[in-house]
Amino acid sequence: MLCLLSSLLCLAPPALAHKASDSYLILEVNGSEVSGQWDIALRDIDFALGLDVDGNGEITWGELRARHADIDAWALGRLGLQRGGACRIRVADHLVDTHTDGAYAVLQLTGACPRADAELSVSYRLLFELDALHRGLLHLTLDGTSHSAVLAPERAEQHFVAGQSSRLAQFGQYLVEGIWHIWIGFDHILFLLALLLPAVLVHEKGGWHGVARFRDALHEVLWVVTAFTAAHSITLSLAALGLIELPSRLVESAIAASVVLAAANNLKPLVEGRRWLVAFAFGLIHGFGFASVLAELGLPQQALVLSLLGFNLGVEVGQLAIVAVFLPLAFALRDTRFYRRGVFIGGSLATLAIALIWLIERAFDLKLLGG
Amino acid sequence: MLENVTADLARTEILTRMAVFKLTCFTHLRILSLLLVALATGLTLSANAAPRKPSDDSEVLERLPTRAGDAGARELLALRAAMAAAENDPRPAGRLAQHYFDLAMARGDPRYVGYAEAVLARFPEPLPAELLSIRGMLRQYRHDFQAALDDFAAALALDPQLAQAHAWRAAIFLVQANYPAAQQECRALLALGKGVLYGSCSGLAQAYGGQLAAGYHALQQALTSSHDPDNRLWLLTRMGEVAAWRGQPDVAERHYREALRIGRDDGYLLAAWSDFLLDSGRPADVLRELATWESSDTLLLRLAEAAALANAPEAARLAQTLDDRFAAARQRGDTTHRAEEARFALHLRHDPARALRLAAENYAVQREPRDARVLLEAAIAAGDPIAAQPARDWLHNSGFEDRRLRDLGQRSALASVQGKPPASAQR
Repeated sequence: MLCLLSSLLCLAPPALAHKASDSYLILEVNGSEVSGQWDIALRDIDFALGLDVDGNGEITWGELRARHADIDAWALGRLGLQRGGACRIRVADHLVDTHTDGAYAVLQLTGACPRADAELSVSYRLLFELDALHRGLLHLTLDGTSHSAVLAPERAEQHFVAGQSSRLAQFGQYLVEGIWHIWIGFDHILFLLALLLPAVLVHEKGGWHGVARFRDALHEVLWVVTAFTAAHSITLSLAALGLIELPSRLVESAIAASVVLAAANNLKPLVEGRRWLVAFAFGLIHGFGFASVLAELGLPQQALVLSLLGFNLGVEVGQLAIVAVFLPLAFALRDTRFYRRGVFIGGSLATLAIALIWLIERAFDLKLLGG
Repeated sequence: MLENVTADLARTEILTRMAVFKLTCFTHLRILSLLLVALATGLTLSANAAPRKPSDDSEVLERLPTRAGDAGARELLALRAAMAAAENDPRPAGRLAQHYFDLAMARGDPRYVGYAEAVLARFPEPLPAELLSIRGMLRQYRHDFQAALDDFAAALALDPQLAQAHAWRAAIFLVQANYPAAQQECRALLALGKGVLYGSCSGLAQAYGGQLAAGYHALQQALTSSHDPDNRLWLLTRMGEVAAWRGQPDVAERHYREALRIGRDDGYLLAAWSDFLLDSGRPADVLRELATWESSDTLLLRLAEAAALANAPEAARLAQTLDDRFAAARQRGDTTHRAEEARFALHLRHDPARALRLAAENYAVQREPRDARVLLEAAIAAGDPIAAQPARDWLHNSGFEDRRLRDLGQRSALASVQGKPPASAQR
């Protein structure tokens, strides 16, 4: 009788309170390499394994730490990854974190699969035998493609392929990386600016004069930027595909040297009219610099060319953005003393000085300033 | 949200690393690099506390809902042991599952519902009547109403004496606003000789179905013949609601206070009492009554609304906590809290369009007076009278007598004519 009445009442509280049990599984699978992070609620671990040894209703870091080995065996025994056979996963480190419903153990995962290109299957049965409402919330990055899935008792095993549909998203992601890299790559920006500064000027009779028409400046800029892009695209692709490898110290030094030369050429013109050739020649060097960044990001095996293209286009877009701001300003100011003395000569001098310092630092592995 | 952020974390880290990698080359730009890194780190931190490694073994990470020595914990332990001792016997399993379900209700903690389901999942189909009935309860909790009705019907086919199954079917029909079907289940309870249960059932069906006075008296009748504290608490809570609908706040408050004096944790009572206080313009009382109930989403909503109305300093934090909980529920595909989320969107985020969408989705599943109310309020605020048509149809067909709801019904029909939401729609 007691619960009969409350049955009429039980229905009423519109469910949800506290939170049902979830674990948060973030996996990154690149080729055969697996890394990831698995957040499991301490309450859930306690319910399954019993963490509160002293029975005071509190779980301390010491109590959790003492059971790390058991927790790893329990959790990893309930997670299966397959890519051309079973992947071997281990827990590299143990941390803690907080989600909306309390404290979580964080298992940092690392491992390897037998194959680098097969479909990936994830089978998950953590806590299902104890809590039928438990869900594993999976965020998977498979060869650069993102997937989300909710792992439930009736959908405990799920399969993923680096799909066609998300190629576009991936392309977009690398495009953004390219733009971002140009923005934080000061040596590339300075090199480009050193080449662009004289674009609104012509060197005649031993002196600099403003160009007559915007078209002339634009024409020059387009040649320079296009040559630079074409060149660094070539070497970036060659390096990213592993066809050419150069020591990074050499590359970084050469990049610094390119900035030195570009700035020096403004102060004492040696190459003129064919600046696009300079841009092309040194663009080849800068491409190797971009490649080292791309290597840090990692290129997805499945969409290699598309990602490369995206990154290259991103770099291009970033450059064009700089040009779009620079060119109208420079053109407007080209006949002023401020531009010719301050920006052009002063800027080139400053660039030269900075680049020289980089060159010495990089070539001789020194720290000249501060650091 | 949290998890999107976590997923983005890896990317942010790569970007930060890239920034550091590039910038450390240029020491003269160290200030800029520091700024950039600080910005990137700041963005990361503000969104989510990063995983960390505690340094002190005695640091308390989590407080459990029960301590090993508590009476409640001992009872659970005994029930689990009994089930383990007789693995194939449905009776101890049923008792444990029922106990988990009761805990879920008392504490508003859905983990116990999952535990109960897992206990039932150990038994092969076809389930015996007592387990079918419990599975029906668990399914209704997930708002899988048709499956729940089927489970209760199957349980009754095996055991026609199972009053609980009739009570649950009545409760589901009431939520679906199917009052004739609810009344039929009430009569079945009467036929089984369950007088108090019949009074509760038919009283509520009458009140929802447009006869507040008759419903109130039926509940009152049931109360006089009931001595069980749980039953009395339930009846008093419902009488409080009905009295408030009848425009008798003093009577309602007396009932609520008597229910509270019984001294049992009850999420539904606290929610109804808080709503009553909010409607009476007494948010400060809500803040006091619910101070320790933040862990329950249902009650956190009331707390956050009260804090916003009272301009309490914790208002923003409470709303953000609730936002995070809804986001976490969305992540796992949970839609059982749409009515609450609609109220949250309307009153706390002032987003009538989102509130209306949620309220309408909820109303397709749940049609109690409170569900109709949030739909009407959201439709008025959004200036979209058509969206509230199902609630107005219900008001018309049921003849539900609450003055406030009838006013909302009329205003919602005029919502587009007025063009602008009346201020009172924001409560």
